[in-house]
Amino acid sequence: MAHSAVVSSEQYNYEIVKKFAIAAIVWGIAGMTAGVYIASELAWPFLNFDIAQITFGRLRPVHTSGVIFGFGGNALFATSYYIVQRTCQTRLAGGTFWPNFTFWGWNLCIAIAGTGYLFGISQGREYAEPEWYIDLAIAVVWVVYFLIYTVTLVRRNQPHIYVANWFFMSFILATALLHIFNNLAMPVSLLGVKSYSLFSGVQDAMTQWWYGHNAVGFFLTAAFLGMMYYFVPKQAGRPVYSYRLSIVHFWALSFMYMWVGTHHLHWTAIPDWTSSLAAVFSILLLMPSWGGMINGIMTLSGAWDKLRTDPIMMFLITSLSFYGMSTFEGPMMSLKSVNALSHYTDWTVGHVHSGALGWVAMVSIGSFYHMIPRLWNTTIYSSKLIYTHFFLATIGVILYITALWVSGIGQGLMLRAFDEYGNLAYTFVETVTFMHGPLVARAIGGMFFVSGMLVMAYNVYMTITRAKQEEKTPVIAVAQA
Amino acid sequence: MATPVKDPLTGAETTGHVWDETLQEFNNPLPRWWLWTFYATIIFALVYWFTYPSWPIGSTYTKGFSSITYKTDAGETKTTHWNMRALLAQDMQTGEQALKQKAYLEKVSAASYEQIAQDPDMSAFVRSYGNGIFGDKCAACHQAGGQGVAGLFPTLVDDDWLWGGNVEQIHQTIVGGRNGYMPAFNTTLNPEQVDEVANYVLSLSGIEHNADAAAKGQKIFNGYAGGCYQCHTTAGKGLTSQGSANLTDKIWTVADTTAEETPAERLKLVKNVITNGIQRQMPVFGAKLSETEIKVLVAYLKQMSTTQQQ
Repeated sequence: MAHSAVVSSEQYNYEIVKKFAIAAIVWGIAGMTAGVYIASELAWPFLNFDIAQITFGRLRPVHTSGVIFGFGGNALFATSYYIVQRTCQTRLAGGTFWPNFTFWGWNLCIAIAGTGYLFGISQGREYAEPEWYIDLAIAVVWVVYFLIYTVTLVRRNQPHIYVANWFFMSFILATALLHIFNNLAMPVSLLGVKSYSLFSGVQDAMTQWWYGHNAVGFFLTAAFLGMMYYFVPKQAGRPVYSYRLSIVHFWALSFMYMWVGTHHLHWTAIPDWTSSLAAVFSILLLMPSWGGMINGIMTLSGAWDKLRTDPIMMFLITSLSFYGMSTFEGPMMSLKSVNALSHYTDWTVGHVHSGALGWVAMVSIGSFYHMIPRLWNTTIYSSKLIYTHFFLATIGVILYITALWVSGIGQGLMLRAFDEYGNLAYTFVETVTFMHGPLVARAIGGMFFVSGMLVMAYNVYMTITRAKQEEKTPVIAVAQA
Repeated sequence: MATPVKDPLTGAETTGHVWDETLQEFNNPLPRWWLWTFYATIIFALVYWFTYPSWPIGSTYTKGFSSITYKTDAGETKTTHWNMRALLAQDMQTGEQALKQKAYLEKVSAASYEQIAQDPDMSAFVRSYGNGIFGDKCAACHQAGGQGVAGLFPTLVDDDWLWGGNVEQIHQTIVGGRNGYMPAFNTTLNPEQVDEVANYVLSLSGIEHNADAAAKGQKIFNGYAGGCYQCHTTAGKGLTSQGSANLTDKIWTVADTTAEETPAERLKLVKNVITNGIQRQMPVFGAKLSETEIKVLVAYLKQMSTTQQQ
């Protein structure tokens, strides 16, 4: 075929993918370090040092934005631009300007918003903290992203659209919808940073959690499933397990997710029926979620030995296992009776991180180890360091979520325990004292995960440096190729 | 292009599509167990929908078949569809723990403080229930065990009470709060006089001091220049009506001299208090606690201070 005669790095726009990939690693380390710091503040409060800007409340959105939008967002831009080009066999639309516009636009928005959080500039909406002017800028960047992606798809040299692209499309569309509606707000003045939401009370809370949970559903799940659907079969060298399953679970997932956000508001001042609906759709979401896990893991059938020999595969399959586990845990926690125990405890935080670290971060890391050497047309600097990273990350996640199971479930049980007189057996402060040990373990788990990211940064840095040296000595490069 | 290929390893057929040179898909059917579990969740959904309020219809919603019976504030027995408020009301009215607690609260509320102190069962209840109130409302300042923080929040475990330690006085402290105030003497007394008064105060507790200075200090303490006696009395015993400290009992609530090693350090602490005065406030809890809760708390505090004494 004519296409294969052309070198990929010339046929495709790899420059933009490279930029996003490096930004993702940088944000990942920054955001996760902020996470470790605030986790440490909870375990050792003196770390606040009485400085308002670095207290938990200010740094927490810096952490969440840094990892979700900085690390996750840049990883999604990188892999979606990579995948859409390769599976459509066409160069990315928008020339060099528009993809670069999305890069600088996206990263500037996160940087400006993140700096604002330190000084208390925030909408106070979880995962939607940026104030109105950043929200407008993000909307513009996102529309450009949508256009680049769609036009590239339209220009494809393939009769069919590959499954990964369905997921990326649903992610881009849903995120636009969620972002715009949740951030409808009236600025106090055109020159001021403050704005007020268009919604109030219960409606405001429900809009926020409709957004909040679909940020999990479409940003952190659907999009990363897109990533999974490309990199797992590529790395395994095996066909995707079931085309039919991918269709069914894609539509079921897209349909169900939109309903479940209210489960974040169980046992609050919401109408009872909204609570029941959210709980039920969460249960209905279990199998559609697992469809993705099955399709990913079963793709390995016929190549199971790779789980022993290929550290990238270990990352990808472990991420799918965590995905399966947290998408089982989530629906269970969405049941009103379970939620009565878990709500407001660290169990929720642990659950989020088994998804965020175990699934989102690990599938991205595995994908990056596959993609980065190909972007720079070389091989990875050290496969051993990928193993090291894998074990650091796995130990980190397991330590993290186990600690918060103990802390969360323990606190939940203490808060509902009665003594022989029918009195609550523990005061709130006694439950906080109990949590100290697990919170220390959680901070250490986070430290493991960040060390893994540092190992990755070094490995990637050396890979790129070597690739550039090879370029300068073309004779050797040809000989190796 | 779309020719299905049979996989040599598993025998499954692909859809025939190929992307990016190697990407293909098998056309495997949906795993049976996956499909059946999915159906099971749908059945679960139906059951849940029929049990609880779930679907909006216009301005109302389906109520579900599950119901709750409880007593309204007006005392009427009411049966309604399942909802969070009714569930809470029902649990508070008929729940096993709630009933147990209610019975004890009624008993304690009807008893006198003496009766509570003499009845082991009621005392144990007070210890348990009071611990909850104390932990949530008092421990933030007075610390979890009631030991306080020297200089800031009085200790409650030593049966020495600035504002009086009988049940009426403790009750008043909780209901109305207290304003602890001693004026700063940095403008009324010169440094030398402050030094002398401080030596006298130390002498009242039998702590090492300069006797000459203390003698001069006594005059200032009981004279026009200092006027300390107006609150602390000429004997230095203090007045519970003012919340002024007894300076003779070797209990130091603000200047914690027992924590200091050298006479100079101890003197400095006392001088600090005289120079800068004291402004402390205990908040009002009358509106935050019910009469029964306050009663239990008073009994609890009496227990706390007396057990420590024994």
